[in-house]
Amino acid sequence: MPEVDTRSAALAGLRTAAGVPLLLVSGGMAGFGALAHDIGFAAWEAVMAPVVVWALPAQVVAAELHAAGADLVAIALAAALTSMRFFPMAVALLPTFRAGGLLSRLLQAHLMSATSWAFVMRPSAPREPRERLAFHTAFTLTCIAAAAVAAFAGWLGAAALPKPLALGLLFMNAAFFMVLLAESRNRQVLLAVALGVILCPPIHAVLPEASMLLAGVLGGTGAFLFGDRLRS
Amino acid sequence: MTGGEHAGYLVLLAAAAATFVWRALGAVLVGRVDPEGPVVRWFTLTSYALLAALVVRLVALPTGSLAGIPLAIRLAAVAVTLGVWWLSRRRVLPAVLSGSACIVAAALWLAGG
Repeated sequence: MPEVDTRSAALAGLRTAAGVPLLLVSGGMAGFGALAHDIGFAAWEAVMAPVVVWALPAQVVAAELHAAGADLVAIALAAALTSMRFFPMAVALLPTFRAGGLLSRLLQAHLMSATSWAFVMRPSAPREPRERLAFHTAFTLTCIAAAAVAAFAGWLGAAALPKPLALGLLFMNAAFFMVLLAESRNRQVLLAVALGVILCPPIHAVLPEASMLLAGVLGGTGAFLFGDRLRS
Repeated sequence: MTGGEHAGYLVLLAAAAATFVWRALGAVLVGRVDPEGPVVRWFTLTSYALLAALVVRLVALPTGSLAGIPLAIRLAAVAVTLGVWWLSRRRVLPAVLSGSACIVAAALWLAGG
């Protein structure tokens, strides 16, 4: 049996994170930082967001709804709907660490992100469970540290950069999400996206505060009920 | 833009709790749940539709400074983002940066610079 080398695995996790993943995370979180400044969050709140929430859609949804004057329950509900993906991700990922205690599983579940999930599930990631755990921990901590710095940079940018550049930072939020949605190859998911886009404006005209939540629930349910034959 | 009535950190803690619930549920129910089942599928579809509605709101119905950029230009930036994404063979960063560059260029032009 080969020796377990968690130290090299952790270094590999750090090195793997310090490339494209770091650029993607930083870009997204810089956009969030700019949005946080735009809606009146303090700098420390912008920095805290990626550490405690660590889910860009939930952060942007919360900021956007807060700016629209929604109450905390509506904000939590909408954030919960965007973060549902972590449930199946955790169910698939955690057994590969064979991490014994619940506490260890909860910690890894909090550190996990869509990016870290994709990278630790790749064949090039370590195979041995303890090495995987070290790889994932180093990878995600690197990403979270970069995210906190990027959120601060985005907040500062929105505060101090010339207005046109600050607006460009702000637009990055929308740009990231539209690319994320376009990346989906599943036709049932594309139907849900189309329904969300079509339903949002008319609902917004009547119920501006609830338009995101209602368009999401109605669009998702519509795609669930009528899009079954589209599954591929 | 002044934002809503609650302190920012309370809003973020609400989002953090709402997100952690799913992570924790996964950590607790490992091995006892089918990630491909109909309930999970409904939530996945709903989260995609909600994200789509979020993009519509960010682009077409912005509450903050982006409202100062005309809608036609914001939609053009969407077209550029998706166009570059397609032409660059689905690369995220060039797409996002080109879309944002459109907004920067338009804002400079509008400011008369």
